[in-house]
Amino acid sequence: MSILQVNNLTKIFKTKKDKFVAVDNISFELNEGEILGILGPNGAGKTTTIQMLLGVLTPTSGKINYFGRDFNKNREEVLEKINFSSTYTDFPHNLTIQENLNFFSFFYDIKNRRERVKTVVDLFRLKEILNQQISSLSAGQKTRVNLAKAFLNFPKILLLDEPTASLDPETAQYIRDFLLSQRQKFKVSIILTSHNMAEVEEVCDRVVFIDKGKIIADDTPSGLAKSIELSHVELFIKDGLKRTIELCQGKKIIYKIEGRYIIVDLKEKEIPDFLRQIMDMGVFYDEISIEKPTLNDYFIQVVSKIKK
Amino acid sequence: MKVHRICGVILRYLYLFKHSINRLADAFYWPVIDLLLWGLTISYMKEISGLNVVTVVISGILLWLIVWRGQYEISVNLLEELWNRNLINIFGSPLKFSEWIVSVVLLGLIKAAMSFTFAALVAFFLYKVKIFVYGFYLLPFMLSLFMTGWWVGFLVNGLVFRFGTKVEQFAWSLIYIISPFSGIYYSISILPLWAQKVSTIVPTSYIFEGARQIIFTGKTDLNKLMISFGLNAIYLILSLIFLKKSYAKALDKGLVKML
Repeated sequence: MSILQVNNLTKIFKTKKDKFVAVDNISFELNEGEILGILGPNGAGKTTTIQMLLGVLTPTSGKINYFGRDFNKNREEVLEKINFSSTYTDFPHNLTIQENLNFFSFFYDIKNRRERVKTVVDLFRLKEILNQQISSLSAGQKTRVNLAKAFLNFPKILLLDEPTASLDPETAQYIRDFLLSQRQKFKVSIILTSHNMAEVEEVCDRVVFIDKGKIIADDTPSGLAKSIELSHVELFIKDGLKRTIELCQGKKIIYKIEGRYIIVDLKEKEIPDFLRQIMDMGVFYDEISIEKPTLNDYFIQVVSKIKK
Repeated sequence: MKVHRICGVILRYLYLFKHSINRLADAFYWPVIDLLLWGLTISYMKEISGLNVVTVVISGILLWLIVWRGQYEISVNLLEELWNRNLINIFGSPLKFSEWIVSVVLLGLIKAAMSFTFAALVAFFLYKVKIFVYGFYLLPFMLSLFMTGWWVGFLVNGLVFRFGTKVEQFAWSLIYIISPFSGIYYSISILPLWAQKVSTIVPTSYIFEGARQIIFTGKTDLNKLMISFGLNAIYLILSLIFLKKSYAKALDKGLVKML
């Protein structure tokens, strides 16, 4: 069931002399319990989209419907059910974590505020630093406070901008597992932006790829990765590295040399042929690994195409 | 309008008040310094000239405190959210803009009551000026003074929403534009003619003249009171329209751009 519909959303920033189309007529949906990744290079329009979804930026045109209701006309009611965590915001520096969470809890219609604050403090491992001022926290600790604030109101939809940025790998994994468990238990829907492609592959059900304000792809992470046909084949060549290089050059195969290793980019169906050919040439290898294309490869390919 | 959200905003700024030396100084230190400097100067002048205006000047300082406090809470609390990059957290929540406005207005009342009471006690102990004696008669004038503080505060916030922290200086300075025309410590009649004309559209000029009349004669000039309320009401409506339009403009540019 779709709980967010974005239709023909456009944002044009106008100056006296110029105009800039930051988001260009985009439409997408978010289903209940779905985790949707918004990807794109810097300046693609991801943050602008998130800001409009949050109501802190007025769209030039288009419609946003949350839970079947027009966001513009039901702002207060909608924001009661959603929350966000973002890298472009901060908290009052000279207030403690406890004080920040206390006053934010008052912005939402929460029945037992004290109990809820205590719960999110435990969930995000903030108990030991609860009375520290925000100014004394590390970037990772601030991210955890941000997420604790985002979960205060039992949100049905979460907008997360780089939720695990600045976190150590163990805490980042804990947060990812936590997000997945919230989706599982409470059918929380999440829109997430990240530059960590492995993270997006792990948690997102679907990815919308934005460039220059337009959606250029909307698919599952594996679907996007599969659109890249080339796999990386890595071989440790004991004998015949020069011959292998000559073969690659002759067949215009993309390759990379690292010591005695050669990494070649091949379509999946071409791999057996390639291996047979080098064996016929008397090349001897004793290690092989084949890496299928990832979302990261997709991202790099799309971005490099854009730059060209 | 939800009471719990208004309480949330007030709680946020009371926490700040607890932690911030600057805010404590604004509430208690500066009013006392004003009282000391002005009070001692006037006491000295009384000694050399025999002229007793201590009550007038001290009352002026105390009443101006109300205008200033009312405006300051509205303007500086918005800046506080910008300095802390907290604006999106505040306005990306269900909190309505009107609820935030009501919260800072209430906060201004609370803080003004604290500062005014403290300063009035200091004035009593240092100079035997009993401002509370006139309290009941002065109350309507005090309300009108608050209204002046509010519309100047809304005007400053409107400018901040349009131009960001580039105009933050207005939060401390804009209110002082009306002070020479308000007759805080002197009668409007001593102003040059052109300034007297300007003072006719400044609501605080009627308030301070009216307050002096209460102090000297014990009588309330209802006419002055009504004019001050009328002018304040007009400016309040205009400033709210300006603020609402400025906020809409800030939303059009994106609140993130203000950070």
